[in-house]
Amino acid sequence: MKYDMKALAHDFWYGKPHQERRLGDLYIDKTGLYKHREWRGFKDTMYYFYNIWMYNYAHMVMDVVRYGGLINFAKGVWRYRWVGQTYLPVLHWFDRGMEGMRGEGLKASAWHYRGMVNATIFQFQRMFSSDANLRGGKRNYRWHHNVAHNETVWGGVFYPWHGKLTNVPMEMIPYFVTCHVNSHTVLNYIDAVQSIGLPGDPCPMCQAEAGLFVLDDMPDYAPIVITSNEACDASVSTSILQDWFLDKPLFAMPQPMQFDDPLLKKHCRDEIEQCWKFVEEQTGIPFDWNSLVKCIESQNELQKFEWEKWDVAAKTDYYPVNGVAQSLYRIYQSQFGDLPVWHEVDGHVRKILNKCVKKKINSFPETRHRVLAWSCAPLYYSNWCTWAYNCWGLNTVMNMDSLMFNMTIRTDSYDHCLDDMAQYHMWAPMRRMAVGGMHHIFECWKYMEEFNCDMVMMYDQLQCKGMQGVHGLFEDEFRERNIHAIWMPHALPDSRTVSRMEIRQIVNDYMTTVMHEEALDPTLLEFDDSMTW
Amino acid sequence: MKAKILKALLMALGVNAALFAVFFFDLDGKFLFYVVEPTLKKHYDNMPRRDMTKMPYEMNKPNYEYNV
Repeated sequence: MKYDMKALAHDFWYGKPHQERRLGDLYIDKTGLYKHREWRGFKDTMYYFYNIWMYNYAHMVMDVVRYGGLINFAKGVWRYRWVGQTYLPVLHWFDRGMEGMRGEGLKASAWHYRGMVNATIFQFQRMFSSDANLRGGKRNYRWHHNVAHNETVWGGVFYPWHGKLTNVPMEMIPYFVTCHVNSHTVLNYIDAVQSIGLPGDPCPMCQAEAGLFVLDDMPDYAPIVITSNEACDASVSTSILQDWFLDKPLFAMPQPMQFDDPLLKKHCRDEIEQCWKFVEEQTGIPFDWNSLVKCIESQNELQKFEWEKWDVAAKTDYYPVNGVAQSLYRIYQSQFGDLPVWHEVDGHVRKILNKCVKKKINSFPETRHRVLAWSCAPLYYSNWCTWAYNCWGLNTVMNMDSLMFNMTIRTDSYDHCLDDMAQYHMWAPMRRMAVGGMHHIFECWKYMEEFNCDMVMMYDQLQCKGMQGVHGLFEDEFRERNIHAIWMPHALPDSRTVSRMEIRQIVNDYMTTVMHEEALDPTLLEFDDSMTW
Repeated sequence: MKAKILKALLMALGVNAALFAVFFFDLDGKFLFYVVEPTLKKHYDNMPRRDMTKMPYEMNKPNYEYNV
């Protein structure tokens, strides 16, 4: 066999050109594991090895030690399925999200993942270091200084107690993030809740969240609980089960459905204030306005940088963040609230962003279509956009969840601040544009124009009754407006309803039969990853 | 002294090469997938767990409402 030494040397140093990569050949059948990780060219492979793989493994250990120690971590892993089964293979989550990426895009996207890993470790270590289940029922100092809350209650509600109380969402780490990292874990919780008689057709998110409690897999880490209705009545049922199984003082702070009504805003303001009274009464620690202002202003800085990022994504080809990093980082950061790591990550990303704009670096040079992803995404396949770019040149520039909390919060007066906090609280995940009314779900057209997109990836959550209700309206609008839209069916966390392979097949079919295009990397068209994390 | 430095350098190089092999051949992923996850799953599947449905559901809890 003759080798073209010049081409080999070129591939060694720069990596193979996009069309010659054959990324699908790297997979071990069914498992999604790699025969070997991708050679991205010398510089990018070394960057991935040292600055992503090694850096993140090392920092994960450091974070575990810093936030609660190795012993608490080991106890937690042994006791709770969702941490042991899910978070150990976290570097594979990086791999899946960053397949095929090079240069500045690789760097910027990896920083987003680093932020999420740090925030995740912070939360589960806070749970374990306070957990009465791991201490034979004994409640330590940390236990008395935590607040547990539903994951769609914005963390900013607890800013007045910053440094005195720590708020940790109940489901964000045991449920939401697990689905992205290891899609197997959540299935145990969905099955558990159905085993006590719940029918299988409500939203599987609500089922899984309740299942954590049914399986006795929730740490006992706080004296009080704040719940919400999340986005729908299925979640109300989850709150009832949580109230039963937690058996703690509980304050319910629902988010109104039709949030445009000024009377409802007044109601929502009252509820936030009542929640503050509840926290004060239960913990004995007074509300601190200065602390609230300080944290809100810090969070506003994150929002301002996000607007800068969106500006670059909308108006140039030099945005260096891929679709999955953009969506996950943004929803995590805006929902959890302010943390030092978000500022650290934004600092790194700002440098990369500025470099890309200044030097006109296009991190997605094979883009054929600029895609807006709309509605709620399949959690078990959030990295579909990495696949779609590598296979078809579909560049997911922006997504609905990123655009949800599109606001800063005023701090010039208590009244303005509370007014904006109520607005932020009402724009909750799955609420603002999903089931928050037709006017808001149709903001899709506005954002398509703003982000210069020519295609929509329309998520179709099969068990969301709210979104199923507007399916036909969207069909009509897509036809009327002559927009290329691919419907992506899924069941949020449950990979058994629509598999990843089926999702890819739907995209493949559209791209070949409607768009008449050929795959950039044909090895990615069809492969079996049914057992993968 | 020189020999010690050389030895340390060679050791660092060896560790680096070994780690690169783990990284490149996805040995961490394979170990977690084929060994760690099945072992932990077996452990979690066989763990004794409380039957949460046996807990009484107290219906007369305080109603937390405040005048604001």
